Amino acid sequence: MLAFRSEEHVERWRKPLGLPRGGILTPERQWRLADAWYADRLAADWRRRTPEEAEALFAALGLEGAFWQLRP
Amino acid sequence: MRLHLYERFVAEGRPPGAHETARALGLGEREAEDAYRRLADEHVLVLAPGTTDVVMAAPLSAAPTPFRVESERGSFYGNCIWDGLGAVAMLGRSGRVETSCPDCGEPLVFTVSEGELEHVDAVVHYAVPAARWWDDIAFS
Repeated sequence: MLAFRSEEHVERWRKPLGLPRGGILTPERQWRLADAWYADRLAADWRRRTPEEAEALFAALGLEGAFWQLRP
Repeated sequence: MRLHLYERFVAEGRPPGAHETARALGLGEREAEDAYRRLADEHVLVLAPGTTDVVMAAPLSAAPTPFRVESERGSFYGNCIWDGLGAVAMLGRSGRVETSCPDCGEPLVFTVSEGELEHVDAVVHYAVPAARWWDDIAFS
């Protein structure tokens, strides 16, 4: 997961490397995902999310579709 | 065990070795090493191949990366932009991530103040679908 100046920069970088377009997030959505994912990591009762819980979090942030599915 | 490791990582800026954790928690060294391997099996930690040396305790990286984090609890490195921002979230929700565009090398700074991200002209790219992140977590 890398940050670029714009989608145009993503395209210019990825094509020579043969990488797929993949997923693109706005900084705001990336921050909300990072905050939801990691804010409780230093809590004593933290536990790893199940794939179902992780997918539900992605969906709540509008990250849906095959790219964001953790289960086959 | 997990919490101790994270707290030491944050306090000292590096993850404790299994022998240090064993001493701190009154465990045998083998016991601590097994616990580190279990945490790696559960994808909580990433260990250097064939060792119990912690490479990643997400969102933190044990080695310098292009995602430098300045937080309320000190300076760290994230494993990617998600983890860089995740480190800010984990360490008080105010801070910044300094990185650069892989295409043009222009610096990019993501600044968070009391839980709010300041505007930054940037996008985040995910090359690998979610189901395959752990096939090669260092690349992902």
